[in-house]
Amino acid sequence: MKKLGFGILSVALLVALFMLGTSISGQDESDNSIVVGMSGGYKPYTFTDEAGELVGFEVDTWNEIGRRIGRDVEFKTADFSGLFGLLDSGKIHTISNQITVNEKRLDKYIFSDPYVYYGAQLVVRNDNMDITNLESLKGKTVGVSLGSNYEEMIKAFDTNEEINVVTYESYQGSLQDVSLGRIDAVLNDKLAGLTAIQESGLDLKLGGEPVELLFNAFPFVMDQDPDLIESVNQAINDMYEDGTFEAISLKWFPVNITEK
Amino acid sequence: MTGFDFNYLIQVLPVILRALPVTLSIACLAMMFGLIIGLIVTFLRRSRYHLITRFFDLYVSFFRGTPLMVQLFIFFFGLPQLIPIFSTITSYPAAVVVLSINASAYISEVMKSSINAIDKGQFEAALSIGMSNAQTMERIILPQAFKVALLPLGNTFISLIQGTAITFMIGLKDIMGVAKVSSAASYRFFEAFLAVGLIYWMITLFFTKVLSLLSDKLSKGGII
Repeated sequence: MKKLGFGILSVALLVALFMLGTSISGQDESDNSIVVGMSGGYKPYTFTDEAGELVGFEVDTWNEIGRRIGRDVEFKTADFSGLFGLLDSGKIHTISNQITVNEKRLDKYIFSDPYVYYGAQLVVRNDNMDITNLESLKGKTVGVSLGSNYEEMIKAFDTNEEINVVTYESYQGSLQDVSLGRIDAVLNDKLAGLTAIQESGLDLKLGGEPVELLFNAFPFVMDQDPDLIESVNQAINDMYEDGTFEAISLKWFPVNITEK
Repeated sequence: MTGFDFNYLIQVLPVILRALPVTLSIACLAMMFGLIIGLIVTFLRRSRYHLITRFFDLYVSFFRGTPLMVQLFIFFFGLPQLIPIFSTITSYPAAVVVLSINASAYISEVMKSSINAIDKGQFEAALSIGMSNAQTMERIILPQAFKVALLPLGNTFISLIQGTAITFMIGLKDIMGVAKVSSAASYRFFEAFLAVGLIYWMITLFFTKVLSLLSDKLSKGGII
């Protein structure tokens, strides 16, 4: 029994050392680098290329912001459902995953200046002729991404609860279900919809014109150092002025998504 | 581009396999700590103090009664909001801690029933020749109980390996996380998930084999 007790004690010590080690390295990182969270699964904003490298519009944007504010950027990928948890618990500084600014989020976070302006867009199956706007969704089923802005957008419009909303953890999964006929439409942003239609080869098309104009920015927790947010805003403005944003945008998209 | 793409399945397998050390090391560490904590909890639940047994019964009940995902969320995202120092724990140790605690609850149940399965006469005989309670446990009861517990502990380990599949939620690149990210980039869900499923299956087959060899060896020594 003594041996067992000794074993347990030494393991407990090891664990304590292990935790201590990580907490120290954690502090080191937060001093000179900025940790940016993203899902890594939202093409072409953030995804891994064939070589396994994390690439995309968000990655390029932050590498450029990091260079301008003089901090090393460290990317942290996690399931979208975990990103705001990582932000709240201080494990990342901000999220770069096309986070749309809305009132509820403004209650809890400070947003940087917007960097992407876009329209919410319905995607339907090729043979669907009925769905062209929110009104035509009544009595139908529409898919939205978990934690996205679209569910609230539909709720605000659909006060009599005539639209059936299904929440998906992955955007691609919801598109798959449209093509399989499990749901009638997906509401997401226009460009992601266009890219997905082109690349997935699924039997999909855009349903009507964009539903609403929105903008995306980087959320920070309320007690974030204001200087950091100020320097990020400065970098965003500079990138608009010298055309860097347009260049990054055109690298990944057929149009400039950063344009107002 | 519809239909099944066998080539992609072959391509994505090595990409996913690169994350195998993460999955396996978390599962193995959690099993090791789970066994230690589980054993301690088992002993404490046999304590003569009611308060202690009650508390650890509650512990086991909570960690068996709530989904692993809930426990992971509470530990990784919830606790740092109450106790700021917790936010310095990175995702890897956090996953190990949560999975260890979760496993310890199941292991404690297995050990409890295994100890109960040992004939009362064994206790009495050991005590009658002057062994202390602890000596009886260590020398007579536990060696026999472990043999009884071996296969159910193997089941716990297998659930633990599959339990690691949710750790991408807290940003850990395990094989499931890589499969999710790869499939999102290629739009090939069927192939990527089939690939990762096959990997989990192979791991399970491997450990099942190891376990059955181990239990054969132990049973040759008598008792079971």
